Amino acid sequence: MINKILSVLVVLPAILFVVTGVRWLVDPAVSATQLGMALDQGLGLSSQVGDLSSFFLTLGICILLAVVTGRRMWYYPPILLLSLAAIGRLIAWLVHDAALAPQIGVEVLIAILLFVASRRLPREA
Amino acid sequence: MGVIRTGLAALALLASVTCLADLGENLSGQAATPQRPNILLVLADDLGYTDLASYGSEINTPILDALAQQGVRFTNYHSAANCAPARAMLLTGVDAHLAGVPNIPEMLAPEQQRHAHYQGVLGTNVVTVATLLEDAGYHTYMAGKWHLGTGPGQLPSERGFERTVALADSGADNWEQRPYIPIYDKANWYADGKEYTLPEDFYSSRFLVDKTIEFIDSNIEDGKPFFAYLPFQAVHIPVQAPQDFIDRYMGVYDAGWDVLRERRLTRATELGIVPEGVSAVRMSTTADWEALDAQRQRYEAKRMAVYAAMVEAMDFHLGRLLDYLKQSGQYDNTIIIFTSDNGAEASGSVDPHSFVNRRLTDSLGYRIDYETLGLKGSYSSISPSFASAAASPLAYYKFYAGEGGMRVPLIIAGVGLPVQGELVRAFSFVTDITPTILSFAGVASPGPRYRGRPVESIIGRDLQPLVRGSEERVYGPEETVGYELAGHAALFQGDYKIVRNRGPVGDGQWRLYNIVDDPGEANDLATAEPARLQRMLLAYERYVLENKVLPVPPGYNHLNQLVTNTLYNRMRSPILVGLLTLLVLIPFVVAHRRQDQ
Repeated sequence: MINKILSVLVVLPAILFVVTGVRWLVDPAVSATQLGMALDQGLGLSSQVGDLSSFFLTLGICILLAVVTGRRMWYYPPILLLSLAAIGRLIAWLVHDAALAPQIGVEVLIAILLFVASRRLPREA
Repeated sequence: MGVIRTGLAALALLASVTCLADLGENLSGQAATPQRPNILLVLADDLGYTDLASYGSEINTPILDALAQQGVRFTNYHSAANCAPARAMLLTGVDAHLAGVPNIPEMLAPEQQRHAHYQGVLGTNVVTVATLLEDAGYHTYMAGKWHLGTGPGQLPSERGFERTVALADSGADNWEQRPYIPIYDKANWYADGKEYTLPEDFYSSRFLVDKTIEFIDSNIEDGKPFFAYLPFQAVHIPVQAPQDFIDRYMGVYDAGWDVLRERRLTRATELGIVPEGVSAVRMSTTADWEALDAQRQRYEAKRMAVYAAMVEAMDFHLGRLLDYLKQSGQYDNTIIIFTSDNGAEASGSVDPHSFVNRRLTDSLGYRIDYETLGLKGSYSSISPSFASAAASPLAYYKFYAGEGGMRVPLIIAGVGLPVQGELVRAFSFVTDITPTILSFAGVASPGPRYRGRPVESIIGRDLQPLVRGSEERVYGPEETVGYELAGHAALFQGDYKIVRNRGPVGDGQWRLYNIVDDPGEANDLATAEPARLQRMLLAYERYVLENKVLPVPPGYNHLNQLVTNTLYNRMRSPILVGLLTLLVLIPFVVAHRRQDQ
């Protein structure tokens, strides 16, 4: 039962990440606003759309692969991505005068959730 | 050909400078080095033909009436039948189709949008009057509605205006920064090319005049003349006005639209705006006032009261700008041009309390109650019935090529002008404004290339000979001026006009009118003068070819297209995101189910 609930808790953010990644491809203006950034032009726009859509799509697809295949290794990329994103935000706040983004909490929480899931859910390593 | 054109341009410049010298003498009272005049171009939005007191209105517009006495009123001036094309022609002197704005982008059909000149955005193949004046040493300012593009290189700050505060959309709320139709996420305001947040105490007419004064005042010491473009939001939907202005019109419209239309016709006739005995058709969209219950009559009368109040508020704030010019010593050297982008707007709901209209206003967070109508948070408009009265005695209104959609007030005034308080009955067109401004400023029209790029030639005429009373007309009796908007079409030649109004109000048939004797377009001459009709139809076909006019798709209806485009713009992203997300998720769902089996 706990594993079922854990699966649902893991799949929900995975779908959210996929939607966010797709939205970066389809409607980057809205996605940029949600992340507190202005939409760039030219090379900047290309980097925003390419990098951020791949970030979110990789997150979502890896989590879904982990749940469907039952293999632990698929949890590691999203855990790494989210943890490094949170660390990057902290450094940005400490060194580059960026805002202390509340998203850090969400990223850390989902990373912990994924770590717990990687210990309990997989059928193989 | 190029040599001839250059020679003509040089002659035009010489003539302009001669006129300017005359004006300088008039202004100073002695022969001296001519001082270039300031130019103030004021544009009302959706103002009907008889919405000013000096054109036959009951609305109190003392400032504009005083201007009319200091210059001339044009009674046969025509603009486009809707907003952006009119603004494109006004600011460039080039036909809207060649300028890239054959219609507002919100109403273009997808089949038309495949063509580069059908984007509803001012093309880079035209030069604005602001660019020409800026290059000639003028300060150039704009405060108000732009609606000619927001992309790179499209904002007014990149089209010749030195200082700007501009509304990019077709309209917006007058009390706060919010959209008025669901096609927009927000009201898109820009200042000097950057997104702009409106102040808390915003009221459109007051704010735009304040900004214009601020811009002019910021450079007043350097002695350079200015060109200020002041396109008001008044009286575009949502129709909104301060309470004290509304109070002045409570009870004025209780007799209904038919009485108002008749009163305005009578007054316009007395003023000489229209000839004696003009026939006026009753539009099929005009409802039966007597059939309304007392509560509906009371509500409709207040809708019109708010409209009148918004017109008077615009006039009042324009007065503050003119006071500033007088106090700063610039008024006597300023040419003021006032007009409207098109005729009265009839898109207001017939019944604001209908289910559909309630859903629309609710979705935008607006109230429509009687008590607060026109105030902050309230959504008001006039119905086609009162719009027809605002266009009295003309037929049709905005979006249609009937006179009610195209014939609007035009006042050109200035202390030094030789003719004061007169009426000009000659035909004139919106493309004439740019060459007229250039003529006043002593600036030559651009040749076939400008700043190294090929540009469209100005087709309009300098109206100075009419303003100065030296000519009876600027278009010869055989010259033609064509017009097209989404299949609605017209061609003017001498005193005559052929016109085709499509649905939902028109029937798509060509008709012929003598618009000098019959400005109400009540007597179709198509049968009586078939040869003239055929000649003008051929001229219209030439206009279509020369201006790359595209046909509308079968079954096109501008209102339906607006709704379709709104849905497309609003729903395209969510639908696409949903479909692509499904495509990503489906393999996982399938794999998961196969594992369960």
